Amino acid sequence: MNSLTETKRRPTDWQGAEMQKRIAGRYAAERRFKAMGMAAIALSAGFLGFLLVVMVGNGFLGFTQTELPVEIDFPAVTSGASPSQFQGPNAEANLQVMGLREIVNSSIEIQYGPEGTDLFSSGAWTAVSAKILADPDIVEQKTAVNLPVASALDVAYKDEGNPEAEAKVSELSGQFSTGFNWNFLSNSDATDPMQVGIWGAFKGSLITMIVTLMLAFPVGVLAALYLEEYAPKNRLTDLIEVSINNLAAVPSIIFGLLGLAVFLNFFGMPRSGALVGGLTLALMTMPVIVISGRNAVKSVPPSIREAALGIGASPLQVVFHHVLPLALPGILTGTIIGMARALGETAPLLMIGMRAFIATPPSGITDPATVLPVQIFLWSDEVDRGFVEKTSAAIIVLLLFLLIMNALAIYLRNRFETRW
Amino acid sequence: MTGATLLFLIIGLGLIAWFFGRLKAAGMQSGGKHSRSALHSLPNYHGWYVALWAILPAAIFLAVWSFASPALITDAALTSPAAAQLPQDAFARAAILSEARAIASGNQVNAFNPLSQSMVEPYRDAITYYQMIGTVAALLLVFACGVYAWLQIKPDLRARTKIERVTMLVLLLASLIAIVTTVGIFLSLVFESVRFFSMVSPIDFLFGTEWNPKAVAGPRGETGFGAIPLFWGTVFIGAIIAMIVAIPLGLMSAIYLTQYAPAKFRSWMKPILEVLAGVPTVVYGYFAALTVAPALRDFAVSIGISNASSESALAAGVVMGIMIIPFVSSMADDSIAAVPSAMRDGSLAMGATQSETIKKVLIPAALPGVVGGVLLAVSRAIGETMIVVMAAGLAANMTANPFSSVTTVTTQIVQLLTGDQEFDSPKTLAAFALGLVLFIVTLLLNLIALRVVKKYREAYE
Repeated sequence: MNSLTETKRRPTDWQGAEMQKRIAGRYAAERRFKAMGMAAIALSAGFLGFLLVVMVGNGFLGFTQTELPVEIDFPAVTSGASPSQFQGPNAEANLQVMGLREIVNSSIEIQYGPEGTDLFSSGAWTAVSAKILADPDIVEQKTAVNLPVASALDVAYKDEGNPEAEAKVSELSGQFSTGFNWNFLSNSDATDPMQVGIWGAFKGSLITMIVTLMLAFPVGVLAALYLEEYAPKNRLTDLIEVSINNLAAVPSIIFGLLGLAVFLNFFGMPRSGALVGGLTLALMTMPVIVISGRNAVKSVPPSIREAALGIGASPLQVVFHHVLPLALPGILTGTIIGMARALGETAPLLMIGMRAFIATPPSGITDPATVLPVQIFLWSDEVDRGFVEKTSAAIIVLLLFLLIMNALAIYLRNRFETRW
Repeated sequence: MTGATLLFLIIGLGLIAWFFGRLKAAGMQSGGKHSRSALHSLPNYHGWYVALWAILPAAIFLAVWSFASPALITDAALTSPAAAQLPQDAFARAAILSEARAIASGNQVNAFNPLSQSMVEPYRDAITYYQMIGTVAALLLVFACGVYAWLQIKPDLRARTKIERVTMLVLLLASLIAIVTTVGIFLSLVFESVRFFSMVSPIDFLFGTEWNPKAVAGPRGETGFGAIPLFWGTVFIGAIIAMIVAIPLGLMSAIYLTQYAPAKFRSWMKPILEVLAGVPTVVYGYFAALTVAPALRDFAVSIGISNASSESALAAGVVMGIMIIPFVSSMADDSIAAVPSAMRDGSLAMGATQSETIKKVLIPAALPGVVGGVLLAVSRAIGETMIVVMAAGLAANMTANPFSSVTTVTTQIVQLLTGDQEFDSPKTLAAFALGLVLFIVTLLLNLIALRVVKKYREAYE
């Protein structure tokens, strides 16, 4: 019996050439597989790095502006302007009366010839006006100020522009200087890329986010508490759960269609306003808050509830005095992540008309407003090459805010979340 | 007085009511006539009891009033002598009235139509009159109900129980908003789609192959609403190109991170990959349009494809695929982690190498979960808007050439609804029909995916 099996099966010859080759092949496959995994990670992370490098590389220039010096001889062109005129509440009106724009233009023409004004940004004189308001004494002197150049020159100086502008740049080379573009942080949308800024869009984003938070946070938290703590097991509860899970997966553009059909056309709310934008985003953010809130509430151990019930608290007191405070860090983390998503959202806001050209920052929830991502989208559509770096610069600002929000969420989670 | 100030006033009065209610209850608690009988509820609850009585009836009244008063105002304005000159045609009449209303309430400065200018005064009078009625009635309600509740405060008033009942109702209402939203989405899409399908036959819409809404001329018998090219473009970008990028990268990343990577590397790399999902889509869209698309076109031209478009399906699809990577990878991660470790250990004990274990044991066992994750990723990809709007173009081509331009459902929704809008044109309504299709498809994909994942989880537990 024993000899029979022995003749049929000999022990594997592990040291034999054939077996060694097979093992080497298997190990090579193992290494290949591992390398593929590593390549996948490297590719994904590399793409992220590439995206950030491109955006920062492009956008960095958007925060700077190219300037040319202009000498303004105030005593010669103004008839006895005194510094005291440009202090106090009437300062800006007096600048208007003085005709600052013409003064600046004529000074430019003296220095750069009759077509000199074409070299400069159409809003260059505002830089002079800001300078006078900051230091009125300069109206009694001859002063040299650096003024922003026209967009075509700016592009040509920083990068590759059209041939005409390139020729001008090489003609004037040596006189250019680079300054920080404060306009970009304080202005709103404009037609001249040298004059655009993100303040209007930023304010719009801020107001929209406040509306979203005020609506989505209370509703989301209360719904999470109800579903996790009180909801009886019945069909209504099942229906609520199914709709919340579905809402979390509905494409964002569908919420835009809802906002258009219900808030704008049915309720007749003001178009393009932060109110409708905030409402739409709140409906989108609420399921995220409910889902994260439920997880946070679930992670509070039952012993807390039982102890509170045991000393005579009512079910509502148990939740509002004990469970909610303990779950709050988790709920806040989820809320911040949901808000970060809402801050980067574009498509639903396009649907409700927040894509208009808006040159003044909104001052209320019903004023026409735009938000940062939509502003990025609008600028990316512009033909003027000067907008490329502005778009990337706005993207940097947006990414910076998202980074801060996410860092805050991680900090909150690590600092306050209790592991039971 | 505007609505907002009135609301703040009522809330302020509510706070005062809270204070008085609390004061009375606290007085009963400490000494006084009723010192021997203990309060049923804490003074705070009595405060809330009075405050809610003061605020809620007035708030409900205001909500009803704000719905009812516009009609009353219009009726009052129409009884004025100026209304006699209004045209009989209902449509023109409504236009003039709405313009007059806008001027009277301060939303508009100048009238285009002199008739509406003449209606402004009656309107303004009516608005002031009814606003005053509403304000006075609301404030009366606040005082009456507040005083009533205040008088009710007694030691044995079950204030806490009542407050808790109201709170429970609020909790339930907050949860119901999810259902209301879902129903709202469905109804608004269906309602507008039905109007669209009364103008364009559903068969033409769903199975037509020519998409050209701009060419539509007549009110009936329209062509150019065949959505098949859009569906194809959506599937081509979202379900084919994006998945070709996302599935291998996401799956291999998940495998490497869970099976090979040291714990430290994993704890760093996982959040970095998650960042890919947190970048706003408008940033991806800009990146695709500015960097990826020109690079791909140059590449296509250099390998001899002359008709390569600068808005290619490939650029949008690749960037979208990269956006989806963390999604696929975290779903794959979960389902691989759910495979019982006995299966893995058994395979390793038999002498299989790690990669053989992964390929022959873990992946087959985790397959349903991975498939579910891929379906969810597809549903996300086809609903994605900004990347395709910015990078995929508008030409409704039915082509399998990745270097040519295609258009998608979401791109066309944005295209149809932005710019000049007439709300009843089939062009605008078509966007809602497309939205309905998108909603139903993503919903189905999600339901199937969740069912697949759930079923498979049960098998191992």
